[in-house]
Amino acid sequence: MEPLSSVSDRSLLRTAARSGPGRSAVAAGWQGYAFLTPALFILVAFLLIPTIWVFGISLFKWDFIGDPEFLGLRNFVRLLTEDELFRKAVFQTLYFVVGTVPTGMALSLLLAVLLNARLPGRGLFRALLFSPYVMPVIATTVIWQWIFNPDYGVMNALLNAFQIPGVGWVRSADWIMPAIIIYSLWHFTGYNTVIFLAGLANIPPELEEAAHVDGAGAWSTFWKVTWPLLSPTTYFVLFISMIGSFKVFVQVYQFTLGTGGPDRAAETIGFYLYQEAFQHFRAGYASAISVIFFLIIVVVTGAQMRFASRWVFYR
Amino acid sequence: MTARRALELGPRYLLLALALVLFLFPIYWMAVLSLDAPQTPFGLPPKLWPDWEFNNFASAWKAVPWGRYFLNTVFIAAMYTLLVCATSVLAGYAFASMSFPGKALIFACVLGMYMVPQEVTLVPNYVILAKLTWLNSFQAQIVPLGASIFGIFLMRQFFLTLPKDLWEAAQLDGVGHLRFLLLIGLPLARPALVTVALFHLVAAWNSFLWPLIVTSDDSVRPIQVGLSSFAAADSTQPVLLAAGAVMTTLPILVLFLVAQKQLVGGIAATGIRG
Repeated sequence: MEPLSSVSDRSLLRTAARSGPGRSAVAAGWQGYAFLTPALFILVAFLLIPTIWVFGISLFKWDFIGDPEFLGLRNFVRLLTEDELFRKAVFQTLYFVVGTVPTGMALSLLLAVLLNARLPGRGLFRALLFSPYVMPVIATTVIWQWIFNPDYGVMNALLNAFQIPGVGWVRSADWIMPAIIIYSLWHFTGYNTVIFLAGLANIPPELEEAAHVDGAGAWSTFWKVTWPLLSPTTYFVLFISMIGSFKVFVQVYQFTLGTGGPDRAAETIGFYLYQEAFQHFRAGYASAISVIFFLIIVVVTGAQMRFASRWVFYR
Repeated sequence: MTARRALELGPRYLLLALALVLFLFPIYWMAVLSLDAPQTPFGLPPKLWPDWEFNNFASAWKAVPWGRYFLNTVFIAAMYTLLVCATSVLAGYAFASMSFPGKALIFACVLGMYMVPQEVTLVPNYVILAKLTWLNSFQAQIVPLGASIFGIFLMRQFFLTLPKDLWEAAQLDGVGHLRFLLLIGLPLARPALVTVALFHLVAAWNSFLWPLIVTSDDSVRPIQVGLSSFAAADSTQPVLLAAGAVMTTLPILVLFLVAQKQLVGGIAATGIRG
């Protein structure tokens, strides 16, 4: 940030001083709320109220148009005990989270460590690795669908080059989720890399040098010094990747062209919710899915926060 | 460069170059496909050099109303970004620099709302928009998303770094918060504001789920929804679809390459404090 001395703000303040009377603390308090009003109005109207209201809608059978019919908790009973597809969607979502979060974090940390040196061209590397993240998911999924095409796709060609037989990818119930996971790693790893890089830059180099002087190798310096000091960043990346992965929607939609894939093998919670609400117009049932989805996120985030206090090291 | 340093950097470069090839190949291949002859886009081994068939872009452009989609997207993205910047600056400043009862609690609630995935609120928000008769409109794609928790947080983090005596001096001189923010805070906050603006511009350009649900007509549809329906049409040839993908990606990629320092640097800055 620029220091103020270069700007004529001081004189600006003096000029302003002559024109206005001082404000009382009460007025300042009132002003605080005024400043918050535009943001809070939108957040309350389109985030808080809908989040509460969705609990209400989940108790009804409703097609968005006619009269809602009160069902009590029957949507939830059906969802949790009878609905095979929902169970599948929960399982696939967990599969996606487990497939993307640890691998994505390891990959981005590795790239960040590699980039964290006085390296000519470092800024360019960082920007290029980040670039998939700004590209639209729809447009890039279109390309990746061809990469994963079982007959003429690049992925199988690559596997064949290493004497590995190709698989069915987007046409196979077993391989469509791995395909979507690989795509997603490609899409967001650069983002996490940038955050890890910032965390690494924040660690005083003297600490690592001291470990080096004491005879620690690069490997043990990383695990004994860098890794603990990096833990707040690691936690932040874990937090945003978990929430991001649970919400996965657009790539599932586009990879399966709105169907959920062969044998609904790519059905995730967010996608199932969308289908129930906007393809089958079951507003009540979709709201029940929303409620369960919300509770899952709250539990996972809560567990993460509790667990974090044990291993996140704050200086 | 000494031999030791070369030995140290060599493996790093090798690994980074490998990563770069893997990361950039799909983007390269998209460009190749968009310029392939319509009959022979795919083959084994994959074609890695285009036929320079620029007609693909002309044919793709005629297939669907891209001009309309582009205009819609630019308008929505601009209005949305302006709205997000305004709400983020005001709220971020209030949380950082003003004192009023309940501030900590309200801030905690705002951060807590970050946990709510957009999917959870889809049904009620759809109903709210239907009641406002906003379905299939521009404002439906701007107003409900007009406050960003990320933006508020980033602006607050920035305003926290402003020296306290700056405001104290202003206060002694009788300058109110609004004037202080507009005349002094905002010019200083430009780097943070640019990050917020770029981040949401990219988000608006790429947004899909919400416009997919609340729009039904080409006259208000944004580009990604247009591309998705273009992809779903049976009659669409692969090379034309690739050309469409390039067209919808190029503007945002150019913007990113021009402004990558601000965007990447700004995102790095939030990560440090996260």
